[in-house]
Amino acid sequence: MSTALRRYPVLIALCVAALFMIVPFLIVALNAVKSPAEYSQNGPLSIPDGLYVDGLKDFWERVDYSQKLFNSLLISGFVAILAVALSVLNAYAIGIGRVRGRTWVLAFFVLANLLPQEALVYPIYYLSKEAGLYDTRLSVIIVFTVIQAAFGTYLLSSVLGEFPREIIEAARIDGANKWQILWRIVVPVSRPTLGVLAVFFFIWTWNEFLLPLVMLISNDNQTVSVALGVLQGQRLMDATMTNAAALLGVLPAIVFFLLFQRTLTRGIAVGAVK
Amino acid sequence: MLTARRRAVATAVLTAGALLLTSCGDSDNGSSGDGKTLKLWHYEGPNSAMGQAWNEAIKEFKATHPGVKVEFEEKGFEQIQKTAPMVLNSSDAPDVMEYLKGNASAGLLSKQGLLTDLTQEATSRGWDKKLSASVRTVSLYDTNGIMGSGKWYGVPNYAEYTMVYYNKDLFKKYGIAEPKTFDELTAAMDKFVQNKITPLANAGAEYPAQQYLYQLALSKADRAWVDSFQLYKGKNDFHDPAWTYAADTFADWVKKGYIAKTSSSTKAEDAGVSFIQGKSPILFSGSWWYGRFIDEVKFDWGTFLWPGSNLSPGSGGNIWVVPKGAKNKELAYDFIDITMSKKIQNLLGNKGGVPVAADASAITDPKAKTLIDNFNTLSQRDGLAFYPDWPVPGYYDVLVSQTQKLITDSEKPDGYLDALQDAYDKGVPKQ
Repeated sequence: MSTALRRYPVLIALCVAALFMIVPFLIVALNAVKSPAEYSQNGPLSIPDGLYVDGLKDFWERVDYSQKLFNSLLISGFVAILAVALSVLNAYAIGIGRVRGRTWVLAFFVLANLLPQEALVYPIYYLSKEAGLYDTRLSVIIVFTVIQAAFGTYLLSSVLGEFPREIIEAARIDGANKWQILWRIVVPVSRPTLGVLAVFFFIWTWNEFLLPLVMLISNDNQTVSVALGVLQGQRLMDATMTNAAALLGVLPAIVFFLLFQRTLTRGIAVGAVK
Repeated sequence: MLTARRRAVATAVLTAGALLLTSCGDSDNGSSGDGKTLKLWHYEGPNSAMGQAWNEAIKEFKATHPGVKVEFEEKGFEQIQKTAPMVLNSSDAPDVMEYLKGNASAGLLSKQGLLTDLTQEATSRGWDKKLSASVRTVSLYDTNGIMGSGKWYGVPNYAEYTMVYYNKDLFKKYGIAEPKTFDELTAAMDKFVQNKITPLANAGAEYPAQQYLYQLALSKADRAWVDSFQLYKGKNDFHDPAWTYAADTFADWVKKGYIAKTSSSTKAEDAGVSFIQGKSPILFSGSWWYGRFIDEVKFDWGTFLWPGSNLSPGSGGNIWVVPKGAKNKELAYDFIDITMSKKIQNLLGNKGGVPVAADASAITDPKAKTLIDNFNTLSQRDGLAFYPDWPVPGYYDVLVSQTQKLITDSEKPDGYLDALQDAYDKGVPKQ
């Protein structure tokens, strides 16, 4: 009885919170399959009379969505892999190698994280133009690898700082060099954490808007989130098509999340045991 | 020694890397200055009047320029808006591009030396003759980037102006005739208020509210007043009769219920939709709604120019600009010339846009005809008065937030005008 009493308020609070999270998504899905005329007549909350998929289809063709999807996958995928690799190398030196001045190095990484992206726009534009990388996907991959790795280094350093020294000692006595310790011991043991990081990096990069908007000028190089911007006109917006586009824009991220959900829970659970 | 699995992973990473490198490489070639490609950017939707007309212009261009490839890319408004100075300063600049007119946009780019001077082309190809004086204002920018005089940096292909949209069915239902004078308009609105209908669709959070206000001021103003406000030719006193009348009348209209108090936080989209749904009988806004209303409005509707005023908000539309770094300028001029031709202009008119150089007789669609006739009336009496947010950078936000206060009655007309004066004086360019 008493447990039930304690449990219900929590359950109700969770349901309400879930509702708040889901409602915007539902509205997007609802309006994505509505015709523009219907939207204008009955407003955004009405139930559509029938399935109207022209909005989805038109948007797909208008922005060449498969190309954008490929670009986004390419960029986010590479960033996730490279940023995790870079974070591991950094964190190995800081967390396990305990290089001198590591507190300052970490403080620097945190600072880099706090820097607003707006402040980065012009320097990055200028540098990439000088390097001949302006309007290439490679430039965005490099930039986001560095940005995400800054956070990854910070997080992983503290995780690896707690790494059981005994294991490393044992490996060293067995004759493992530093490289072998990293690849044979540290990486396998902390794989769940790395998995979580990779998933986060992927989704964060997927949702990035400002830097891809500035850096990727040609339509052939653009990402999904930039493509969504095409629909916002100067004075008018096409509400139904914007919803259709939003639906297409978040679906891949959701699918990706569902695929890697187990990695996520495992990573969090590992953290909890420690 | 690599295990089979690792080897597979390594190969995958390598191929992906190679793929990445090759895919990054191909953006470098493309257009070069060989006169064989025209790189064209604009941000009008494919179904809009401009989108359709320009699509036709591309076809026409291909027909007259065999062997030339047109690389057209549809851009987002925001992307062009945010990144234009950077793109134009790089080697990836297009040959011809649609850009936002006005001091703070095209004016700024011309001042930074990022645009090509089109004066020579405009006179030799006769663009200057085709555009009426008040449309032409958005083409010319002086050395400070202020529009209205100086060199040609852009060519508008269409125009826009504001008008009164009204729901004929609702007017008929309450026995009201189409208002011909300002008094008849207020009488009509009184009638609606008596029937518990808010007559005017308004949006306090965006441009519609300030356009009501500006229109009211314009009804007591003349061209010299507009030049002084928009082109800094003279001193601007916001407590002059025109502004005072506008602020007082606007506040009065909120009190009388012509404008809903709740409209202080609504968006332009809401105002448009409330007209489409038949909830608001009158909407005063721009020609950019016209095409959508033709498609979506189910009742009988009509338009007329704001009664009792020679001037109305409006201007030449967005302009074609040729970036300084464009590689095929000659092709760009040819393309602009095609979009100014009668054929494309007539098409633009028939699709619900406001052409600047069309043949009035070639416009067959009756709704399109009214739209263009009204524009010609306005343009012939030199009635395009631009928009209230143009003179000063950041003025749009000042106007929105101040007008919201006027709607909610948290600011009196007097204080409202003080605030406008303040922001204007701070932002006006010192010469």
